Amino acid sequence: MAFVTEEFKAKAEKLCAKYPRRDAALIPLLQELQKESGYVAEEAMDELARFLGLPYSRVKAVVTFYTMFNREPAGKYHLQVCRNISCHMAGAPGLLALLREKLGIAEGETTKDGQFTLSAVECLGACGAAPVMQVNEEYFERLDEAKLDALLEDLRHGRLRARGL
Amino acid sequence: MPKITLDGKTLEVPAGTTVLEAAQAAGVYIPRYCYHPALSVSGNCRMCLVEVEKSPKLLTACSTQCAEGMVVSTASDKVKAARRDVLEFLLINHPLDCPICDQAGECGLQDYYMEYSRAQSRFSQEDKVLRQKRRALGPHLMLDNERCILCTRCVRFCSEVTKTAELEVMERADHSFIDLKAGKSLDNDYSLNIADLCPVGAWTSRDFRFKARVWFLKKAPTVCLGCATGCLAEAHHNEGEVFRLMPRPNAETNTWLCDRGRMTYKALRAGDRLTKGFIKNGLIDLEPALREAATRIDEAKGAAAVLGSPWLSVEDNAALALLAAAMKTEHFCFDFKFETGIKDGILINKDPSPNAAGAALVKAGKGGLGMEEFRARLNSGAIKLVVAEARAAALLKEELKASGARLIAFATNRADIPAGAYATLPYASYFEVPGTFINYQGLKRAVEPAVAAPEGVKPLWEVLNKLAAYSGASLRLDSAADAMKGMA
Repeated sequence: MAFVTEEFKAKAEKLCAKYPRRDAALIPLLQELQKESGYVAEEAMDELARFLGLPYSRVKAVVTFYTMFNREPAGKYHLQVCRNISCHMAGAPGLLALLREKLGIAEGETTKDGQFTLSAVECLGACGAAPVMQVNEEYFERLDEAKLDALLEDLRHGRLRARGL
Repeated sequence: MPKITLDGKTLEVPAGTTVLEAAQAAGVYIPRYCYHPALSVSGNCRMCLVEVEKSPKLLTACSTQCAEGMVVSTASDKVKAARRDVLEFLLINHPLDCPICDQAGECGLQDYYMEYSRAQSRFSQEDKVLRQKRRALGPHLMLDNERCILCTRCVRFCSEVTKTAELEVMERADHSFIDLKAGKSLDNDYSLNIADLCPVGAWTSRDFRFKARVWFLKKAPTVCLGCATGCLAEAHHNEGEVFRLMPRPNAETNTWLCDRGRMTYKALRAGDRLTKGFIKNGLIDLEPALREAATRIDEAKGAAAVLGSPWLSVEDNAALALLAAAMKTEHFCFDFKFETGIKDGILINKDPSPNAAGAALVKAGKGGLGMEEFRARLNSGAIKLVVAEARAAALLKEELKASGARLIAFATNRADIPAGAYATLPYASYFEVPGTFINYQGLKRAVEPAVAAPEGVKPLWEVLNKLAAYSGASLRLDSAADAMKGMA
């Protein structure tokens, strides 16, 4: 098993023990897998399904439901623009269009240099500061074109840090 | 036993009954997509919303249990408006490709739209989210994700009934769709039930699609003869042709029908359907074939034998017993014992024949040898000729081959004829003639004819009647039921 290794299993057993049912550990285990390889591969879903005694389809359904799981390796910076109602009304479509133009890629794609992956994601839970974009683990709120340019500039120089709101 | 008031009527229902079930029992139909009596309650389609007094919101009838004093309205203006709105939502991304959809006539969306909505949609055609159009998923099914309303009946069927759990809802929100593992095929033994379950045109049967318009189909009650379970079924037919077999849900045996059982009707129009007699390797008209068979039977005299069949109706087995009496032979056998019981925990029986119990009934009435004794006599050479239905004869094909006894077989299809049969006589299938079958539970089930037999093909009792006449005896049979005279 390439993904669910013996080492992973030991960790996973501990996680499973925290829940009344084994399969309840599905999401934390998927997060763990993603942390290790940057994405959740098809074989990883297969192996995890077998490990938890779940049908493959169930695991796949959960992975595809949550936009925080990557099904392919992402670029160095994963730009995740919220597309839900608050952000949508506060200008998310424009933001996405700008990013598409500036990066030359569509949602779900990665730039050739492997620096950026662009995604439209579901609610990031920061509606009060819409429009919001998550880059890797960091949130960038109340975005506009100027802020976006500055952020991209930072990222191109390898600086990922949240600026003051 | 809570008492509820439903549309002004007072009902008393067993505790735990849902509003939808209570309404159904009282003859009030509540529209639904995701609810299915044999599957778990999902409550996702929202079509069954009803108004319950003191509840600020409408409630889903499928998932709300009746409680003492509940006052339910299934036809208030609020409910009617909700149904219209739910339909409008369900139809937002529906492609409205009814003219090329084979579900027409039994489509939940069409039917409910006409019944409960007839409203103009406020969503424009251009904004529809497109999904994958038809693709074959497995040997029996076609899936069109664009028509799907995500009721998840198919998902629940696969996880709860077949327990194979192939299907799931992938992705989320307006871009979600039903799918299974890439490259896998949906080929559990019950997959065609999904085409029945699907309330819209998303899942269709590859066998049935575009063969007939459902509003032209007539329904004949029948029994699946695929195995000893004897599921109640319904043959849908039109203009002399059967188009599909559907389950007739009943408490005793089946809610569903297995894929193999559903396909049994295919033998009717198969290329190898026998409409003429067969002597050795040549086709021959029925009358000369009967004469030839009768001559051989007369030749064999007391060394001729008759074998009943668990694939034949009780009546036709009884007619075979009458033939044995007319032939004045002591070598006849109606003794078939198979291990019975449901093999897969769902429907498929260990006993592949539909009427071993029916043959046993004839044995009880008419006597006859045990199977071991019959085998022994065949092996000893005491039997020189066997008259038998093809599949029953195939059970003894080793003995027949070794002893060199002549086989006069009855068959509907060429594929059933055991190698080396001397003569084969065609008979009408049980989609074409009535008959009684007794399933593994001992339940007597009548098959009613759906279509007429091909020209020149007679019911087995009539073939036997003629066969006897050619050898100078008479069975005095005017109908299948005549054969049952003198039997309990």
